[in-house]
Amino acid sequence: MIDALMQGFAVAFLPENLLFIFLGVLMGQVVGALPGLGPAAGMALLLPLTFGLEPATAIMMLAGIMYGGQYGGTLTSVLINVPGEASGVMTAMDGHAMARQGRAGAALSIAAIGSFIAGVGAVIAVAIITPPLASVGLRFNAPEYFLLALLGIIAVGSLGGTPIRSLLAGVLGLMVALVGVDPLTGTPRLNFGIPALYQGIDFIPVAIGVFGIAEVLSSLERTEKLEPIRTRLKDMWLTAEDWTTCRFSILRGGVIGLFVGIMPGAGASVASLLSYLAERKFSKQPEKFGSGAIDGVAAAEAANNSAAHGALIPMLSLGIPGNASSAVLLAALILHGIKPGPMLMTQESTLVWALIASMVLGNVFLLIMNLPMAPVFAALLRIPYVYLAPGILVISLVGAYAATLTMATVWMCIFFGLLGWVMMKLDIPRAPLVLALVLAPLMETSLRQALLLSFGSPMIFVERPISAVLVLAVLFALIAPIARLFLRPRR
Amino acid sequence: MSKTLTLTVAMALALSVGTGVAQEMRAPVGPIEFTVGAGAGGSPDVIMRTVAQIMNEEGIVENPIVVQNRSGAGHSNAYNHVLGIPGDENTLLTLASPVFTTPIVQGTPSVIDQITPIAGFIQSELMLLTTPGSDWAGLQDMVAFAKENPGRVRVAGGASGGNDHVATGLIETAAGITLTYIPHESGGAARATFLGGNVELHFATLSEGMEQIGAGTAKPLGILSAERRSEPGVADIPTATEQGVDVVYTQFWGVGGPADLDPAVAAWWADKFRQATETQRWKDGLAANLQLGNFYALDEAGSYFAAEQDTFRSVLTQIGLAK
Repeated sequence: MIDALMQGFAVAFLPENLLFIFLGVLMGQVVGALPGLGPAAGMALLLPLTFGLEPATAIMMLAGIMYGGQYGGTLTSVLINVPGEASGVMTAMDGHAMARQGRAGAALSIAAIGSFIAGVGAVIAVAIITPPLASVGLRFNAPEYFLLALLGIIAVGSLGGTPIRSLLAGVLGLMVALVGVDPLTGTPRLNFGIPALYQGIDFIPVAIGVFGIAEVLSSLERTEKLEPIRTRLKDMWLTAEDWTTCRFSILRGGVIGLFVGIMPGAGASVASLLSYLAERKFSKQPEKFGSGAIDGVAAAEAANNSAAHGALIPMLSLGIPGNASSAVLLAALILHGIKPGPMLMTQESTLVWALIASMVLGNVFLLIMNLPMAPVFAALLRIPYVYLAPGILVISLVGAYAATLTMATVWMCIFFGLLGWVMMKLDIPRAPLVLALVLAPLMETSLRQALLLSFGSPMIFVERPISAVLVLAVLFALIAPIARLFLRPRR
Repeated sequence: MSKTLTLTVAMALALSVGTGVAQEMRAPVGPIEFTVGAGAGGSPDVIMRTVAQIMNEEGIVENPIVVQNRSGAGHSNAYNHVLGIPGDENTLLTLASPVFTTPIVQGTPSVIDQITPIAGFIQSELMLLTTPGSDWAGLQDMVAFAKENPGRVRVAGGASGGNDHVATGLIETAAGITLTYIPHESGGAARATFLGGNVELHFATLSEGMEQIGAGTAKPLGILSAERRSEPGVADIPTATEQGVDVVYTQFWGVGGPADLDPAVAAWWADKFRQATETQRWKDGLAANLQLGNFYALDEAGSYFAAEQDTFRSVLTQIGLAK
């Protein structure tokens, strides 16, 4: 295997390949930063341009866009509170709070370092344990996905504000998710005869509206002179204390991300949510979560990057794409005349190992690109908000349009901007709405699939071992807060 | 082949040659959009990107071709876009089964009756797979089990109303059994459910199926085609018909233009698709993926699509999905 890996590095180090790996991660960085244009869309756009390239070169470049996007998405999440992708929601929570405290540079740095460590770790995992890990991923199916999503929804109740308000926002998110088409039967539902709602309400206009536009609207109200966020240069860099706080967050985030990534049904957004919640349990200062906890940013970013790499495990070993980006990668393989599937690892071993080697190099490129640039990007926030706000609006609305190429998405985005503004006024947290919207389809589809698998019997949730463990976790998550309420010593 | 059929085929051939000569052709001006209703990476997307690549690189079509994914809502984003620009000469719609089934399921007017048919040029047969440890040696064993245990045999499928749902419906009717079809978000998700050993049955294209069989993760029960394939390995797998379940069902893809497309432009495109599919590159791709390259152009394509639509409508009505 070491021989194979060395051979892979030999291919990746060819000057032409180095160039295209660099171009790939650079493109990924750019499309990741633009809200509405995620890595999957960027890869699809560039796919035809790779036809002239060697298959290995093309795949390395496209994969670069995939994980480069995870780095890029951090930028808008932290700086303007607009997650470019669903996996950036958790980063935005604490990352943007840090930016408001003048610590955008530190947030961006820890995100880059966390992503790098987790990314390289995940690549090593891909290299060493792809076939056995893939079969672990297959043990997860509808019942497990449902419980995972349920766990996420329950946990959403603890994200900021009082549980009641968070759950309110979460339920609102679930309601929004119901609009469109029944995911199992394809029957239209709750679209009120409005054509734009036939296909349901996508995550992108909601996230851009509720976070980005609402933020701008609320800033318009502040009549006092808006001070640019003061950033002192010494706050730009990570302190020794930051590093101590985050070391293990990155490790835990990376491991959680990898395992969620290899499940073909979950994805980077579930990974970052779960690792964020796990981190809050581990943190010495859980009360800081939601208002600028650097370990929260580290864990969420490590998790989403390692999930993006982990999604390659089922793709390479089984031909099952774990997420939208790896589906495009799969298509690229086919278009370049390579047959994906269980035989890929043996029949195209040079290509697979070159890809693995290229991901190590690509992550190094991204770290080099992002670390020195973090203070530069963070300095953007020194621009007075009056000048920054129109820019945020433009990026937001263009991003919404780019997502579907229809004006309807733009109107939807504005609607959710107003809703987000109202929620801010009423002090209802916004993240639960967006996260519930992301989790709802997984939860609904997998519940119904699970019950179809079991011919209607709910026993399927306790008969399967992994599922039974998850049921216990769900019960614990529900009972623990109530128990704590009763067991709390009376004052 | 009966005499009348031979005669009909001969006449059809004569007619198509005749129209080919009489029909004037005119090239559209400027860049071309191939509208695809599937996301990047889906079969229709891969097919159209391959065709576009061959057309441009082999100099068959000089106009730059862009493959645009207007995915979502069962291809209706894509076909509504094309239906909204009648007469447009620079846009072609990719025809895949959802373009036929979505209007039937949603109770909206048929798309295929409104667009200008251009060509049907690629087909893919389906293979029915079961888990490698299954006791079933062939289709009849599965049918016998399903007869005794109605609804207890589960199929992991790509999407409600999708190709494998239609195939499931056809097998149910032909064998007089009831299966439980479990829809997924995508073909990949369904495959994960199958490979995880959660269900008994799964449909795959021949090349996907042979990969799984080769890796020992699946066992074939039969192919839903009229006759056996000749390639080694696939040739050993019997058809469903041979095993007494009379189902022939093939996935197919094609292209159509907007309504009121100038017949000269439609004829030009039909000719270009014929040229592209006659290249060695295209044929190599078909052979590698175990696909079929039957070619239908213009009116012939129109009646071919109309016949397929009738099949979809009757099966979807039987499954209870048609509106």
